[in-house]
Order: sequence, then C-alpha cells, then structure tokens
Amino acid sequence: MTNTTLITFIIYLVAMLGIGVYAYRVTANLSDYILGGRRLGPGVAALSAGASDMSGWLLLGLPGAVFAAGMNQIWIAVGLTIGAFLNWWYVAGRLRIYTEVAADSLTLPDFLENRFHDRSRLLRVISALVILVFFTFYTSSGLVAGAKLFEASFEMSYTSALWVGAIVIISYTFLGGFLAVSWTDFVQGLLMFLALIAVPVVTMMEVGGWDAVTQEAAAINPGFLDAFHDMTLLGIVSLMAWGLGYFGQPHILARFMALRSAGDVPKARVIGMGWMVLSLYGAIFTGFVGVAYLHGEVGDSEQVFIVLSNVLFHPVISGILLAAILAAVMSTIDSQLLVSSSAITEDFYKQLFRREASETELVWVGRLAVLGIALLAIWMASNPDRSVLDLVSYAWAGFGAAFGPIILLSLTWERLSRNGALAGILVGAATVVVWAELSGGLFDVYEILPGFLFCGLTAVVVSLFGGEVSPEVRAEFARVRSEFDRAR
Amino acid sequence: MESGLTMATWLWLLVPMPLVVIISVVSWLRHEQREAGR
Repeated sequence: MTNTTLITFIIYLVAMLGIGVYAYRVTANLSDYILGGRRLGPGVAALSAGASDMSGWLLLGLPGAVFAAGMNQIWIAVGLTIGAFLNWWYVAGRLRIYTEVAADSLTLPDFLENRFHDRSRLLRVISALVILVFFTFYTSSGLVAGAKLFEASFEMSYTSALWVGAIVIISYTFLGGFLAVSWTDFVQGLLMFLALIAVPVVTMMEVGGWDAVTQEAAAINPGFLDAFHDMTLLGIVSLMAWGLGYFGQPHILARFMALRSAGDVPKARVIGMGWMVLSLYGAIFTGFVGVAYLHGEVGDSEQVFIVLSNVLFHPVISGILLAAILAAVMSTIDSQLLVSSSAITEDFYKQLFRREASETELVWVGRLAVLGIALLAIWMASNPDRSVLDLVSYAWAGFGAAFGPIILLSLTWERLSRNGALAGILVGAATVVVWAELSGGLFDVYEILPGFLFCGLTAVVVSLFGGEVSPEVRAEFARVRSEFDRAR
Repeated sequence: MESGLTMATWLWLLVPMPLVVIISVVSWLRHEQREAGR
C-alpha cells in the first residue's frame, strides 16, 4: 500500500467519524439513539438498509465465491433479490405502521410483546436472547472481513489486523446512535455501489473485453460459464433460500420502522432494489472477470476485490475502493451492535431490572453492552480459517428462521397468538442450530429452509389451537390494515 | 470449447433481478399518481 492510498483511507475514516460526531450532537434521548426519532427519508432508509444488509459479503464473499466456482454462484444473488423485494412489498409499510400503533415499539422484541399484549415478558426475553446469540456470530463475521482487509492492505498479521479493525469500528459505533449509523450507511452504500461498478468494468477493459473474459474463464474451467454446472436442484433451492432470511433480520427491519411514513415505502423500494440489483451484478462480475485477469489464481479467493483494486487503480482510487470494503463491513457491524445494545438496554436492563433507570444510565448500559458483545465477537473471529460466508450464513439463517415467519404472520394474520409466535421462534431457532450440525442427504440443505417452514407451521398450528384473539389486538390489527391501505 | 455464458445462465441472470426493479418502479409511479389525485 502506498502513502497516497493510506491517506485517502484515513480521510474516509475521519469523514465517517465526523458524521458520527454530528449525529451524536443531535441525538437527545434513547428513542433517538435506537430509532432516530422515526425521521428517515426514503433514500437514506433504502441505502442504509441495503448497506447494513450486505456486509463484507458483498465485496468479499460473493466475488470470492464466483471467483472460486463460477456462475453457479448466481443463485444466491437471485434468491436474495427476490427476498428483499418481497420484504419491501409485504413487510416495510405494515411494520412501519404497526410498530407505531403497537405502543410505539422501538425494538423487535418490543414490537412482539406489544403486538400480542403479552404481559409475561416471555416473548420479549426469548426474542432478545435470539438476537444476542445470532448477532454475536454475525458481528464476528464482519470482524473477519475487516481483519482480512487490514491484513491484505497494510501487511499486518491477522490478529493485529483484527484488533485494529475492531477498535476503529467500536469507537465509531460508540459515537453512533441510529442517525449516525443510518447517515454513514447511506454514504457507505453509495461508495460500495461506485466501487462495485468501477472494479469489474475496468478489469474487463484490461483483460480485453467481454469475449476475452469468457474465453479465459472457459480455458480455466468451462463449467464457470454455466449457472447449472455441478448444481443439483437441492443446491439451487438451498442458495435461493437465502432470500427467506430478509423477513427476520432485525437490523434491516429497524430501517423500515424508522421511515418517516409508510407512504415513503414505494419510493424507498425503487431506490433500494435498484441499488441492490446493480451492486449484486457488480459483485458477481468482479469475481468473474477476476478469474480471467488473475488466471484463477489468488491466495484467498475472498480477496479478489482487494487484489484487483490494488493492482489496477491509481493509489487514490485504490484507497477509496479499499475504504468501500471497510464501509461495507462498518455499516453492518455498527447496525448490529446498535440492535444488540438496544436488546440489552431496552429489553433486559430497563424492562427486567431497572424500570426507573435514567436516559443517561440506559445509554451507558448500551455502550458497555456494545463493548461486551464486540469482545466476544473478536474472540470468535480469532480463527481466520472460517470464511466470511460460513459465519454470515449461520446468523442469517438463525434470524430468518426464528423471526421471518413470525413477522410475516404477525403483520398479515390477525389470529397469530402469543403462544404461536413463541413456539415458532423457539422451533425456528432450534431447527437452525441442530440442522447446521448434521450433514448428508436432506441435512445438506441450507438450514434456513427447514427452520423457516417449521417455524411457520408451528406458529400457525399452535395459534389455531389457542383461544380467541382479544378485542384490543383485533382493533389494533384492523387499524393497521386500514392505515396501510390508505398509505400504499 | 464453450465461448460464452450459456443461454440459461443469461436468462437467470438478466430476467428475475431487473424484473423486481421494474415492478418497483411501476408501483411507485402508480402510488405517485394516486397521491396526486387525492
């Protein structure tokens, strides 16, 4: 790395911290800190949802997978696109309205408790626990990505890289708060987008055009050109099943909850889906043209984007491109740390132990929680052999299977009961944990698929056998439906 | 030797993903029209 690249990189970091400091100054209370006072416009909501969704996977994992195995990796992108679209279509507007109607809920566990008028606190505690467990894995995957970036760019050992990356990200999140996280994610989303367009286009021109790229890729492995190469139906279904995960990701759903109004959803959906589709194309083609440019050889396939950025671009641009990876990583980790911290602060500390706690006390508990979770995630990330995609896939499945069907049903089916939701969450999470440990035959299917199905089925069956829905819940449900019909 | 992506690969690459963007744009335009009519 040259000094010019390093300086560009540092300027980027300082700019992000500047946004953090500004947002810190306009954040007045815990509600601002967790949900930004529900005043996100469609552009910021859409891009920050996309940026915090994609994580290092978009710039490291997906290009790496295409680089190593070819076009048969596109299925995951197709599945994700469809899932994200359905999430914007069915969940975004309804969740925005329902979270406000249900006692102005700030977190997902908060919403679940208020949606079912659950007085036992059980639903809140269980769902907050699921959030903490799976976000620790997820945050850990982000740290692996950050460490790989520092390792490759600054020629550090993996361990030092892990600590440097983590310290940068944690200090930034400390300043954070939801507004800081959303605004920086917006800028980071733009940066990732530009990087993912620039790298494959320039690499392709360098190789000598599209025909040269496909010829070179075919010479290395003709199967790289075929989306069905080495794929079984089960394999394709498994990859596309990633799309099911969207309905249950707390850090993405938080963006929907923070929108200014449900009427902003159609515009946000256009921006979000446009950004996502072009970025995914960029990531797929980065991996694919990388095969041709690097002749299929690179130490770690997940570093294909980093290697291309370093080799092909002027040091200033290369610094910006490397910053884009850090942007992808940071935008996810800050959102996840914030959601985890809000689960500990709002759902455990305030509700179970200190109902009379002051705002300042709560914010400090949240910050200590951020530190605790981050340290645990650093410890888990200390084994560099685990690929980014492995860790992400586990956490993604956990959320998708535990919360996905429950969120969808709670927004669209009046009869879903508290017991149904609780049983569904437990069955969904347990299925993911158990399924991931087993292998062979059906157990090779990505665990989100059985987890999602079992969670949904359990929730429906238990609800049908339960009693009638209370008049309060019914009235709220009807109000949400009529407001949603007016807004869309 | 195969010299380009297979037809099925192009199809899966270029149909579903742009399609959701088109649906999003159309539904947004209809939403704007309804808003203007109110």
